[in-house]
Amino acid sequence: MSHHLFLLSPSDTPLYSLTHFSAKASQVAPSALSANLPAWSTSAFAGTLTALSGASSVVQTSAQGGGVRMGGGQDRHVIQMIANASLDVIEDVVRRDNGMYLKSVDKFNEWTVSAFVTPGNMKFVLLHEGKNDEGIRAFFAEVWELYVKTMMNPFHTAHRMIGSAVFDGRVRASAKKHL
Amino acid sequence: MSALPPSRFSVLSSPSPDLLSPTNSSTRFSLPSGPAIATATAGTPKPLSRPNIYDRPLNKIRTTEVSASAFAFLFSEIVQYMQKRVSGINDLERRLNTLGYRIGTRVLELMAWRAESASKAPKRDIRFLPVLMSIHTNVWKAVFGKPADAIEKSVQNEDEYMIIDNDPVVTRSISVPRDMSQLSCSSFTAGIVEAVLDGLGFPARVTAHNTPVDDFPLRNTILIKLEKSVLEREELFK
Repeated sequence: MSHHLFLLSPSDTPLYSLTHFSAKASQVAPSALSANLPAWSTSAFAGTLTALSGASSVVQTSAQGGGVRMGGGQDRHVIQMIANASLDVIEDVVRRDNGMYLKSVDKFNEWTVSAFVTPGNMKFVLLHEGKNDEGIRAFFAEVWELYVKTMMNPFHTAHRMIGSAVFDGRVRASAKKHL
Repeated sequence: MSALPPSRFSVLSSPSPDLLSPTNSSTRFSLPSGPAIATATAGTPKPLSRPNIYDRPLNKIRTTEVSASAFAFLFSEIVQYMQKRVSGINDLERRLNTLGYRIGTRVLELMAWRAESASKAPKRDIRFLPVLMSIHTNVWKAVFGKPADAIEKSVQNEDEYMIIDNDPVVTRSISVPRDMSQLSCSSFTAGIVEAVLDGLGFPARVTAHNTPVDDFPLRNTILIKLEKSVLEREELFK
């Protein structure tokens, strides 16, 4: 089961992204539609089609970590597109919901999108498959703290990528703990 | 005549040549050379372990407060520095505003973190009036250590609000010369307010104006002129 985190600045510039493979097993049953798709549908381009057609990935990730073939909704560009598409929904919701943690704000095929919006309008977007509200809440809280610390640095500006190795390490550790 | 150089060159020509030669001056003025550092830190296991910003807690403690005189010195230097680089009062105010904006984005985020991080469901303000109240009390307390003195709503224009400070900390030790009487150094504060409003999704133009009264000669008004979209959004909430 994988998680994808994106940190987006108020002007929607991506500042940081992370892909995390959780050791916990995926609770999502494979979609029936995916079984009917022909084998060629897992090629790089067809992956997009598969994802958009409503089927989940044909090649399920058999082991955690890298080196596994990805198909369908697991492709990087599809993930990015889903994350970007969810921004519209997030922007609608932040205008009427006063919570910072927006639980399961959007859904696309097997992906659920949860978000966290800081007072400064920084958006943390997380794509996940299973349901794990408490873990995600705790994860976002820790990422928020790390982000505030990054921001206090006078050399950090609002539209710069967060390249700190320590930041990366802490976010990964937190993801391992909560997701 | 050619034998005697003009007197103003004498200062340059008088020092002994070894002071000006590159080989000697490097040992005098530059940092110690590489090997010296290596030998000095050879005993310690981690020569480059600097304190990490991610290890520092964000909570407010007594020692995180800064003395007002230290701030006054810093702010005086800021104003002097800016003044050498601007063409007029408007330009100076704009620059102070920009500087305040950078601080405001950080103040907002840090203030919210301190207030909300302990709660299970952290909240953001989405209505304008609560945000204005929170700027008046919370932001002022976080930045200046006391709440502002009043909030007013403009009678003529419904998109204008004012925050009034009778004795602003920022300008307490500044006396503006008569020929620049238009200048309000509280533009810095206006920048902070603008950043907070912007961050929370209420774009506005914020300016500072001197409005002295008999009892408070330093009295300052921060004028908030909201963008149209904010008013439209507030209408929808009703």
